[in-house]
Amino acid sequence: MSGHQHEEAGKTTSPYAARIRAIEALLFEKGVLTEPEVQDSISYMETRSPSNGAKLVARAWMDEGFEELLLSDAKAAALQLGIDPEHPAEFIVVKNTTGVHNLIVCTLCSCYPRAILGRPPDWYKSFEYRSRAVREPRAVMREFGFEPPEGVEVLVHDSTADVRYMVLPMRPPGTEDMGEDELAHLVTRDSLVGVNVPS
Amino acid sequence: MTFEPGDRVKVLLSEKPGHVRIPGYLKGKAGWIESLVGEFPNPEELAYGHSGLPVRPLYKVGFRQADLWDDYEGPAEDYLYADVYEHWLEPGEGGPT
Amino acid sequence: MGGSPGGPIDRGQHEVEDWERLADAINAALSGKGLQTTDQHRRAIESLEEYRDLSYYERWVAATEKLLVEKGILTGDEIDERAAEIERRWGGP
Repeated sequence: MSGHQHEEAGKTTSPYAARIRAIEALLFEKGVLTEPEVQDSISYMETRSPSNGAKLVARAWMDEGFEELLLSDAKAAALQLGIDPEHPAEFIVVKNTTGVHNLIVCTLCSCYPRAILGRPPDWYKSFEYRSRAVREPRAVMREFGFEPPEGVEVLVHDSTADVRYMVLPMRPPGTEDMGEDELAHLVTRDSLVGVNVPS
Repeated sequence: MTFEPGDRVKVLLSEKPGHVRIPGYLKGKAGWIESLVGEFPNPEELAYGHSGLPVRPLYKVGFRQADLWDDYEGPAEDYLYADVYEHWLEPGEGGPT
Repeated sequence: MGGSPGGPIDRGQHEVEDWERLADAINAALSGKGLQTTDQHRRAIESLEEYRDLSYYERWVAATEKLLVEKGILTGDEIDERAAEIERRWGGP
C-alpha cells in the first residue's frame, strides 16, 4: 500500500479509513490505478502549502509589475515563481486596500485554492464558517481577532463556481526595509483567506 | 452573451432539483454584473457525466449585503460577490449601475 | 448552508491522518485519468444522506465510493469485504 504506516492498533479511527484502503487495494488489483500514480498525487499535495501564497504576496509587495500580473492573471504569476497550479480551475487574487477588505468562503462545498495553498484549515470547511461568513463576515473576523478600521468596506467572495480565490493583503507598515523572504514570513495562511491580516 | 458589466440582474427563484451551483441564499436576490469570468460547460450537467455543452457565460455578480440579509450588521457598502452562471440570471430592474 | 445560523467557529486543527491523505490522492488520481470529475464528486457528496454526520474526508470517501459503484468500477460488496478484512488485520474494530 502506498505511503503509509499501518494505523496503530487500538487507536480510534474512522471506519472510512479501512474503506479508502480497501478502495485503493481493489483499484490497484483491477489495474484502474497504479501505486506510482497514487504516490505522485500524495507527493504533489505535500508540496502545496501556504508558503506558496506567502511568496506570491511578498513578490507583489516588492514589485508593482508583479502585483499587476498577480491581479490580472494569477496563474501566470504563480508559474513565474515556479508554482505550477496544474488544476484547471480559475485562480483569482483580490487585493485589500485602505478602503476594502476581502474575505473568501465557499458555502457550497469548501472550495479553496489547494493547488497553490494545499489543504484548507478545518475551520474553513466547518458548517459554522460556511454559514456565517456570508451573513456576518465582520463577526467572523472578530472571532479571528480582526476588526477592519472605520470606513473600510468588507467584500465577501463566495466561490460558487470553478474559481478559487486568494487575498492579497496590504503590506504592514514599518516593513520598508525588509527583504522578500522576511516579508513572506509575515504572510499567514489566515490572511490569505481574509479572516485577519498580517501583523 | 446576454449581460454586460454594470447590468442589474436578478437570480432566478427556480427550485431545480439535483446538483445546482447557486446557493439558496441568493435565489430571488437582485444584484449587478461585476465582470465576465469566462465561458464554461455547465457544471450542473457535468455532475451527471453529461458534456455540459454548450459553454455558457459565468459572471461575477455583486450584491449589497443589506439586500441579502434583513439583519446585516455593517455599512451599506459591504458587498458580497458570487460566481453565477447565466442560466441562473434574468435582467433586473432599473438601468445599469 | 450559506446564511444559516451558526455557532462559534472551532479554530482547532486536527492532524491530517494518512487515510485522509490517501482520500485526496485517490480522488486526484481518478480525476487525472478522467474517471471522475470535481463536479461529479461534489454532486455525490451533496447526495449523501449522512452528509451532516460525516467529517469532511469521510464525505469524500463516501462520495468516491458512490461514484466508483455508480460507474461499475467497483461493487459495494467487494469494498465491504475488503474493508472488513483490513479492519481485522488492524486488530478489529
